[in-house]
Amino acid sequence: MEKEILEHGLNFNRRRFLSTASLGLGSVALGSLLMPNLFRNGGVDEEALAAGIPHFAPKAKRVIYLFQNGAPSQQELFDYKPKLRELMGQEIPPSVRGTQRLTGMTANQSSFPLVGSFVDFKQYGESRAWVSDLMPHTAKIVDDLCFVKSMYTEAINHDPALTFLQTGSQQGNRPSMGAWLSYGLGNENKNLPNFTVLLSRGIGNGQGVYSKLWSNGFLDSVHQGVQFSKGEDPVLYLRDPDGLNRHDRREMLDHLAQLNQLSYEEFGDPEITAKVQQYEMAYRMQTAVPEVLDLSKEPDDIVKLYGPDCLVPGTYAANCLLARKLSENGVRFVQLYHQGWDQHGNLPFEIAKQAMDVDQASAALVTDLKQRGLLDETLVIWGGEFGRTSYTQGTLTKDNYGRDHHPRCFTIWMAGGGIKPGMVYGETDELGYNISQNPVHVHDFQATVLHQLGLDHEKLIFKHLGRRYRLTDISGRVVRDIIS
Amino acid sequence: MNYKAKGIAEQVLIAANVFILFILIFEEKLEVPLWLQPLGRMHPLLLHFPIALLLLALAMEFFRFRTTYASNAFYRTFLTNLLLVSTLLAAVTIIMGLFLAREEGYAGQVLAWHKWTGVGTLWMASLLYWGRQTTWYQVPWARAGTVLTALLLLVAGHYGATLTHGDSFITGPLLAEAEKVPPALEEARVYEHVIQPLFEQKCLSCHNPEKIKGGLLLTDEAAIRKGGKTGKLFVPGNPEMSLLLQRVHLPLDDKKHMPPRGKAQLSAEEVALLAWWVRRNADFKQKVLELPPTDSLRILAEAALGGTSEEQFDFAAADEDLIQKLNDDYRTVAPLARESPALAVNLYNQSTYTPEKLRELNDIRKQIVFLNLTKMPVKDADLKSVGQFENLQKLDLNFTEVSGKGLRELSSLKKLKSLSLAGTPVKYPELAESLRGLGNLRTVAVWNTGLTETEVEQLRKKYPSVRFIEGFKGEKTAPMQLNPPQLKNASPIFGESLALQLHHPIRGVEIRYTTDGTAPDSLRSAVFTSGTVLGQSTSIRAKAYKAGWYGSEEARFEVYRSTYKPDSLRLLLPLNRVHQAEGTQTFFNSTLGTFNANSPAWANHWAGVRDNDLALLAEYKRPVTVSSVTLRTMIEPETGIFPPAAIEVWGGTSETQLKLLGTFKPQVPVKGTPPALQALGGTFKPQTVTFLKIIAKPLPEIPDWHGSKGRRALLLVDEVFVN
Repeated sequence: MEKEILEHGLNFNRRRFLSTASLGLGSVALGSLLMPNLFRNGGVDEEALAAGIPHFAPKAKRVIYLFQNGAPSQQELFDYKPKLRELMGQEIPPSVRGTQRLTGMTANQSSFPLVGSFVDFKQYGESRAWVSDLMPHTAKIVDDLCFVKSMYTEAINHDPALTFLQTGSQQGNRPSMGAWLSYGLGNENKNLPNFTVLLSRGIGNGQGVYSKLWSNGFLDSVHQGVQFSKGEDPVLYLRDPDGLNRHDRREMLDHLAQLNQLSYEEFGDPEITAKVQQYEMAYRMQTAVPEVLDLSKEPDDIVKLYGPDCLVPGTYAANCLLARKLSENGVRFVQLYHQGWDQHGNLPFEIAKQAMDVDQASAALVTDLKQRGLLDETLVIWGGEFGRTSYTQGTLTKDNYGRDHHPRCFTIWMAGGGIKPGMVYGETDELGYNISQNPVHVHDFQATVLHQLGLDHEKLIFKHLGRRYRLTDISGRVVRDIIS
Repeated sequence: MNYKAKGIAEQVLIAANVFILFILIFEEKLEVPLWLQPLGRMHPLLLHFPIALLLLALAMEFFRFRTTYASNAFYRTFLTNLLLVSTLLAAVTIIMGLFLAREEGYAGQVLAWHKWTGVGTLWMASLLYWGRQTTWYQVPWARAGTVLTALLLLVAGHYGATLTHGDSFITGPLLAEAEKVPPALEEARVYEHVIQPLFEQKCLSCHNPEKIKGGLLLTDEAAIRKGGKTGKLFVPGNPEMSLLLQRVHLPLDDKKHMPPRGKAQLSAEEVALLAWWVRRNADFKQKVLELPPTDSLRILAEAALGGTSEEQFDFAAADEDLIQKLNDDYRTVAPLARESPALAVNLYNQSTYTPEKLRELNDIRKQIVFLNLTKMPVKDADLKSVGQFENLQKLDLNFTEVSGKGLRELSSLKKLKSLSLAGTPVKYPELAESLRGLGNLRTVAVWNTGLTETEVEQLRKKYPSVRFIEGFKGEKTAPMQLNPPQLKNASPIFGESLALQLHHPIRGVEIRYTTDGTAPDSLRSAVFTSGTVLGQSTSIRAKAYKAGWYGSEEARFEVYRSTYKPDSLRLLLPLNRVHQAEGTQTFFNSTLGTFNANSPAWANHWAGVRDNDLALLAEYKRPVTVSSVTLRTMIEPETGIFPPAAIEVWGGTSETQLKLLGTFKPQVPVKGTPPALQALGGTFKPQTVTFLKIIAKPLPEIPDWHGSKGRRALLLVDEVFVN
């Protein structure tokens, strides 16, 4: 702590010195003329940026990210590869596989036979997008979706890949996408957290989801994701203790805020103000959260739309419905994770179950936003952390196989939020192993999401430990072709 | 200039003229080597010198015969030298220009004019230079020669500028202002306002009456229908067979690719526009709004008409302090973007809403562009305030109490583009009437309102430019299966009796159940009511039913009676190291385990033994009369977890004098037995005891059908029930 106090003092003096110097000295003034940014210490314009106003008029105001944790197999869902069925059981050509590294799980495999999808595909909608029979509800809304079939990532294992997609770095400790958006856009509704997280779990092989994924990293802790759980208390520790009424609570908070203000004046630690804000928000959330979670005013059709599980707390369907309600109430970023997509083996059985879990509710969410006139201002994203291999992991039998991790290509879809509807972007080769057209890197995807929310990914910066950080690190380009 | 240098310069000029003549004659056969191309590209750099110098020389030449000048020696030599140098410079510039012209991307009449006037200038200047030294060269020759040369120079300059900057570069800003009046969407026609401008931009420079390349003219309907030398331009309805699109889709390197390499290419949207226009039969009269709202051609055409540039607002920004003041915990007022005067306003929290919240916004009525009132108890009367927000573009009234009458107040919102009325009690007549004045309106969400399908159809007919979003209708979908009922009791273990709580999350669902082990059905089985009380361990089978739905899958619940919990319990033999669970606490703590217990990480609540028996000694301070003992065990043969081979129950009034009350031998699972959680044990003659010893013997040999045959099986127990 002492170090922070010292730093605070030093920062303050340096800034003051430089700003005075740049006004006072002729040569310094000339210097700043030649290099306009010479004395704009990171602090100055970054603080202005942090004010929470978009850089330019946004297409989308909010994001709902339906994260399919574990990496769903694109070959069984959206990336139709009839050639794989034709070549079933044949070895993948070395020219296709190239120097792609393998995971520890298939590194010792002596053969890599190609495997086609066990499920059939059909074309749907005006856009004639291919969708497998595992996703009948999604198939009905393809004209509202933009499929990106050429996503690729750098990581080959779940945790780094997931962390990379969410925070722009494989290592963690950086702010999550939702935290960046909260930082860049500010609150729409001051009574709810800007960034909320909902978890659910399917029957398939699951992978861990950790709170570091919704961390605020080095950003102010008001931007941290708040997890809504399925129990009696969706937001933990929100309820007043027994015997404390609302009036007492208010008085207590007021006095506490005064004390905190004193210590802020003394130390200047921004975490103190963050804490005061969080207490205040929690106080307002005490009334706002029950209003949001109240299902009694949902029309009966909503249950049919999302499927009956939407009333069973903790299911994916319930989380989708809740996501809509949170988003409708101005929560900037609702992050869902549905676990269980890691089909190394027993893929046909498990993926069918997983698809059944998410298909109806995902499609319902898009339809529901649309019928409320909200889809144009809400960006919905569906996808995992990487793809799966075109060859089988383990033994290939007539009706069973598995697929290993594959970072070179995977499919996601986006809907609403100014993304072109009814579009298929990017292509993979006929074996579904390499991208043949319009590759989209994770940073490109992140840059595009930020762009849709009115943020320039190169300007949304935070200076930390002597370096300027961005969600897209030092790369990324906005995929303009998919923006309407 | 000394005499020698002048001689060299004159010879260079002659040589340059000859060289230029050579280039002009063999132009078509020449290929400019790569290393010379940079030289060609310096043409625009150099050309300003000969223009300025030559003009000066020509002006001086014009007045050369005036006596004051003619007698001035300096004037004479300076003029001669200036004319020579500027003509030489002109020659060099022209050579560069001719090189440049051979590069790709330059063609057409402007270039020809530029080339010949430029060369003409040089020749005229050269003639002047040598002519002026002859005796017949007098005032009229000088005057005529200089004026003609200057004129040629200016014309060449003009065409040069046209080549670089395009036609009407200087007047451009003025013309653009006059031209750029996009038609109202209601009036816009697909061909006239979308396709024709595209032809004009990208194709007309070569397919116009002056320059009919390939015999194709793209200026009017008749000519377009006629096609060119190669044939008809398109087959209506079939873009794949249409020459127009074939040419567009050829690779850029192909000679027949259109527009040719070097010219501005069609964007992906423009290609799509052409393709969809042809697919929709290449109609020359169709209005954009005559196409259905979801039609691709309409969407593309609307985008082309609307443009994609960021919207500019023509009103001033509101005072920042005022915005700050209007912001409170339940009302956010925020600019759309940095430096944008437009504001978005959101209201939250039903209980804090008052009409005053809207009235207070009057000071920023010009700036509000988005207003979100979802779920606020907004009444018709409150819309009077909203009607003042003249620049409002998006209004969200979902699930408010607006009934339709108040919507008339909105007719002043000429800029309104999107109106959301989902979940409101609006009626057709009021809605149909109040939309009349809203010319910019594009979408109206009417899901879950009082409107019938035919009424929405009528609205669509009445307002073809508006997209009415109906959304999902439950009654139109095929019936779905209900999810199974749930057991809501805090614990399935009870003492004396259990008030059964079966629950289903969907309103109006009927739960039917049985307790006798038979499968429940929708006719004979008992309907669950909240008064159902159970007195014994029971296996409940239940299903949910509701009209319009398929019945649910069956749910099974086990509830266990546990009457006598011992006052103390001892383990006579140790538990497995990895299956300690909660030790002796495990067996009577009313906490049940779940599957997946073979992994130590999940083994909570399951006490396990393999190498020795499970041996428990329970002690009661007061004598109890027991008649049954059951152990809840896991059976998961696949992972080697089997029921015990035998359970022995011993009882008595002292620890040392116990007698066998009963022995139970559960069935050994056969191959393919599904995993189960079962209470095993049984009843015996009632006996009053203070000590109870329970022995469960793990299966000593896994049966032959199993992969681990012959090994000892694992026994897992999470609870014991004594009754």
